[in-house]
Amino acid sequence: MKRSAVCLFVLIAIGMSGTQGFAAPAKAAKPAKEAAPDVDNAESTDAAGAAGGAAAVGDTVDALDLSDAKDKGSDEAAGAAAVKSSTTLSWQDIVVVPRKRFLKSGRFEFSPFTGISLNDILIRHYVFGLDLNYFFSNALWFGLQGTYYVKALTEREELIGLQYNRIPTLNRYLYGAYLNAGYAPIYGKFALFNKSILHWEIFASAGVGFTQTEIIPRIPGDATFKNQSITPDFAVGGRFFLFDSLTINYAFRDYLVLDKFENTNRPEKQSSADAKAAAEGKLVHNVMFYVGIGVYLPTKFQYKTPR
Amino acid sequence: MKRIALPFLFALIVALPAVSLPGVAHAQRRSPLADAPAIRKRVELRDTRLEFGVGAGSTINQTFYHGVLVNGHLGFHFNDWLSVAGIGAFNVTSLSTGFHDELQSSLPPGAPEAKDFRAPSAGTANASMNKISAIFGGQLEVTPFAGKFAALGALFAHYDFYVFGGGVGVNLAAANSTSAPACTGTHSGDNDSGCTVTGLKVGGTFGAGFHTFFNNFLALNVELRDVMIKDNPSGRDVNGDRSSDNRDLTWTSHLMATIGLALYLPSTAGISP
Repeated sequence: MKRSAVCLFVLIAIGMSGTQGFAAPAKAAKPAKEAAPDVDNAESTDAAGAAGGAAAVGDTVDALDLSDAKDKGSDEAAGAAAVKSSTTLSWQDIVVVPRKRFLKSGRFEFSPFTGISLNDILIRHYVFGLDLNYFFSNALWFGLQGTYYVKALTEREELIGLQYNRIPTLNRYLYGAYLNAGYAPIYGKFALFNKSILHWEIFASAGVGFTQTEIIPRIPGDATFKNQSITPDFAVGGRFFLFDSLTINYAFRDYLVLDKFENTNRPEKQSSADAKAAAEGKLVHNVMFYVGIGVYLPTKFQYKTPR
Repeated sequence: MKRIALPFLFALIVALPAVSLPGVAHAQRRSPLADAPAIRKRVELRDTRLEFGVGAGSTINQTFYHGVLVNGHLGFHFNDWLSVAGIGAFNVTSLSTGFHDELQSSLPPGAPEAKDFRAPSAGTANASMNKISAIFGGQLEVTPFAGKFAALGALFAHYDFYVFGGGVGVNLAAANSTSAPACTGTHSGDNDSGCTVTGLKVGGTFGAGFHTFFNNFLALNVELRDVMIKDNPSGRDVNGDRSSDNRDLTWTSHLMATIGLALYLPSTAGISP
């Protein structure tokens, strides 16, 4: 009996403490509500007015909030009590002009990517690479790019011998390194079946670097040679902004490779050095399409203008 | 110890839901935006409207000849994201590819030498090549993405992005005036002469595109389309049986890019709630 009484007491005590914890913010919120008109008069008439009267309380909290980075931790903690206390405060979810979803200025982007060549019907290259970019503003960046290529001969290449008794002169790409600059002039957003909104941008980029290439000898046993080819490059691409530190990227990039090919009249068993000396120079377009992700550091960003 | 601990444990288990339930109620704060559409008062640029489109473009990644195309499009949008359409594209002129020119320059102009007997002459190789003459088809289009963009922070426009898939009929014609005989079921010709793949071929099409709207009824349309048909553009042996015929046909991709204008009727667009 005594034991049951102790249990009952403990149960009621814990239950009460829970109820008190739930009720406490409501009491704490009252002064905040009372203080609201003063703050409203001082700073936020414009935001509150624009969002409508119902948003007055919510916007007074938000209109003075100049930072979104700190808000995610401290704002949520500090404002939690007030938000919990009144459903009216949830009108703060509504803003007249939403901010840009993502800020890049002063941040680094690490962007691993993979892609495929588009314009060569005889040899296909798969690319694995990394972009390391630094953003001087939300639209302008400079970066380094490293690429590693894997080749695959196409069906068309295989048919040339059968159909025309010819062997094509081809080079394979090995790897490359490029210094690029980029600019994003187009920024947009879309609604996915009118359920959610995703922000994106389109950029243009250009740079220069080098590509290491190697000939594929027409006679398989012949010596090969490699070229370090100067390579200007141009790109058009885009980013989809998913989270504060993550984007999905895509691009079409045209690498203009000043390459050297095996001479059409190369004699059998010619040495690598001699073959390279007799090589034929040619400008080749290597158009690649690639997709990747962008990971941003620092992982958080801070808005500089009021909401 | 055990006697004391058990009742406390029991009391804790019973009391925990009582403590945590208000917390759950906190988490379920309901935003006025919950279940609301992503965009209110949205201009329904496609909903129950007809779309007429005209444009021009080119095949890309072709082996021997690129087709310069003019194309038309007639569609009906059931709602803002689903439509059905008929398309047509016609080859205005053809341009030889870089690969074609390289190949031609490597082939003998006349009869090949004895040591090169397996190579056709440049004229013979040309005679069996084909090109796309016209494409007709029907397709279902889905527009999952629609929104607005700003160019240089100054120019604002509505746009949409769509994907499509459907069936096509492709008319193939000889690429050159002097052509090899048409390919037939078996043994149309040996691999020295080849045969030309011509006539109607049925296949599939799929692709993606986007519209950028100038106003509520006129838009720029850019589209990338792949047409898959059983084809043999070279008209020469593919399967290694030393003869050219319809058994050498394989599913072949014909990529094309077009740009044009799309007109929407009625000219006024609805506004969503």
